[in-house]
Amino acid sequence: MVSTRGGGAGGELLESIYSVLVLALVLVACVELGDAATAVDVYRLIQYDIAGVPFGSRLAGLNHHAGSSLSTTNADLSRTAVILPVRELNLTLLNEFITSKQPLGGLLLLLPRRTGSRESSEKIHGDSLTRSILVELEKLLIHSYIPYPVYFAFENSKLNSILADVRRSDATGQPASATSGGYKLVVSSWEPKKVSSPTITNIQALAVGSDSNGSGVVALLEIARLFSRLYSNPKTRGKYNLLFGLTSGGPYNYNGTLKWLRSFDQRLRESIDYAICLNSIGSWNNELWVHVSKPPENAYIKQVFDGLSDIARDMGVKIGIKHKKINISNPRVAWEHEQFSRVRVTALTLSELSVPPELLESTGGLHDSRNLVDETAVYRSVKLVAESLARHVYGQQGRNIQIFAESSSLEINPSYIALWLDLLSRTPRVAPFLEKTNSFISALKKELSDHTVDVYGTHESIDGIFTFYDSTTATLNIYQVASVTFDLLLLLVLGSYIILLFCFLVITTRGFDDLINMFRRPPSRKTKAA
Amino acid sequence: MTMFHFVNCVILTFGPHAVYYSATPLSEYDTIGTSVKALVVYLVTTLVKLICLATFLKVSETDTFDPYQELMRTLIGFIDIAGIYFALTQLTHRNISQTHKFQAVGLGWAFADSVLYRLAPLWIGARGLEFTWEYIFQGLEANANLVLNLSLAALVSLMWLRKNKPKTVIPIIYACAVILASMPSTVSYLRKALGWQPLKVVGFELTSSLVMAFISWQLYYACQRQV
Repeated sequence: MVSTRGGGAGGELLESIYSVLVLALVLVACVELGDAATAVDVYRLIQYDIAGVPFGSRLAGLNHHAGSSLSTTNADLSRTAVILPVRELNLTLLNEFITSKQPLGGLLLLLPRRTGSRESSEKIHGDSLTRSILVELEKLLIHSYIPYPVYFAFENSKLNSILADVRRSDATGQPASATSGGYKLVVSSWEPKKVSSPTITNIQALAVGSDSNGSGVVALLEIARLFSRLYSNPKTRGKYNLLFGLTSGGPYNYNGTLKWLRSFDQRLRESIDYAICLNSIGSWNNELWVHVSKPPENAYIKQVFDGLSDIARDMGVKIGIKHKKINISNPRVAWEHEQFSRVRVTALTLSELSVPPELLESTGGLHDSRNLVDETAVYRSVKLVAESLARHVYGQQGRNIQIFAESSSLEINPSYIALWLDLLSRTPRVAPFLEKTNSFISALKKELSDHTVDVYGTHESIDGIFTFYDSTTATLNIYQVASVTFDLLLLLVLGSYIILLFCFLVITTRGFDDLINMFRRPPSRKTKAA
Repeated sequence: MTMFHFVNCVILTFGPHAVYYSATPLSEYDTIGTSVKALVVYLVTTLVKLICLATFLKVSETDTFDPYQELMRTLIGFIDIAGIYFALTQLTHRNISQTHKFQAVGLGWAFADSVLYRLAPLWIGARGLEFTWEYIFQGLEANANLVLNLSLAALVSLMWLRKNKPKTVIPIIYACAVILASMPSTVSYLRKALGWQPLKVVGFELTSSLVMAFISWQLYYACQRQV
């Protein structure tokens, strides 16, 4: 009994306190206190097929331990999700890694903080290195087949501290794994499904991108606003009807333009004098290109180009003309005006790019942010196009008059341009993932209906060779996990604690002999009480 | 992590109860019935305590320490003593000695406390992927709690069941019982008002419970010798 064993138990008690203290110390020594799970919004790399050939990131689900570098050449990375900050990315290494098809658990790329507003843009402005990395990175990732999930996230202090932790443990030669613990990245996501009927909404422009082609959208809105002022007065109404079209699906062979043109009546199509397509006009300095698909000697083209170059001369900017023949057998459509030309409408594209972008290039990538776009460039583009249109509409070709002169009632409004540019830079507009009822589309529609008589939007489905997959965004959970080794150790410690406690209790209450007897004979035997 | 960790935490939380029962003579005298009765009494007592708390205390939105509220909480905590007293005296036990009776009641009491307050958080939390020390500390707390409840049951049985006690130890017994019953409030004071780290709090609980156990055991021993 407790009472009869009084004398000897004082030492035992001390011993048990001691063992508890040791236990506590062991636990403290192992790891510092873990913080709660972190959840981050992540954006998945696009996944698409062209004519059945798969491209992009093919998986969405992620459940691997975090690592910090690709360069651990001999280690097996197939169960590691590598976190790479884009700012310090070693592109050649990544390129090698992807092209040699080495196994990897997943890739998380940390983008520099999102810069949509003008205030924060100053700092980033000089960081042209990051931008060029982004351009290269995008080109690399979009055009390769990557059999693991690739996610993008914006840097924040939490992610940075986790990355620092991961780096520290990597540096000590203990990469995270099931046996050593560390951080675990988990994205619970279903197998990405094909977007059943990707729709494109004509009236609207496409893709995240301030320049490609947010600048074109803004210019179009401003031109529509300017002419609405002229046309609202019956005295200044021109003899032409102006048709404004915001078409979607630009990166996918101008599918939206094609659908839009096909919906035209034959007579309407024939009555079109010419079409001007605006493509990436937000960051040119002194030179703009007019792209045509008919030879420049063509009478109609010459007329329009002369009109534009007259005004350009007055404004002190240079415009050049580039002729590129349409290759009918090639399904790839390089410029938007080619869709017009295919239905025999005289058309040209105004762009700062001197050569047509490759497939999915210059479609408003990560680098294409607001601070890249120069409002004055858009302003000048608007001026150029609006003046030339006005001269054509009112039959004033060749005369040196300014219709949209500064400080007149028809002045171009720079703040209107700036505001719309800001909004466009904040709104991702990737056609296959845009809802039909997206508020941005309605906003554009509303804006155009303020300035024009008749606005209608149509929703068409993208046809052609493209297939898109969903799960573009997800939530990444980062857990700090203990290793299996730690669990085993804990079990061992607990087991010995329980056994020690058992022995201690038996000895203090029944005596040492009983303990010995317990192991010697079947425990069912009733021992006599002390 | 996950299931493995959960099992570890369960061993730490409930293991000592099982060991205490099987290692001590409690198992020989088959006192499980007494423990189960104590468990039921605990449930009723807790219900009464909760009703009292809901009646007399305001719901505090903030996690701050309010002396008046805590005093009320401590007073309500003394209902525990009444509960243990009821379990020890009013219930009909099979003929077992006082020594075994208080142990069985204390064990049942502590076990019920652990099941009620610790099992559900364990099941929900410890199986998550994220590792925290919280559940290990909770398990250690359960250990301290077992020791505290055993001491409290011993003291209560001394107070009302043993008639011929030495006069000198009676005030000490009462003082110790008050200290034990107000232990939850003390811990909450340390945690909230002084802002102690969980590790420090658990350490305090373990040491204080062992010290209190030692004192109450000495008291019990002194009374036993008197007979």
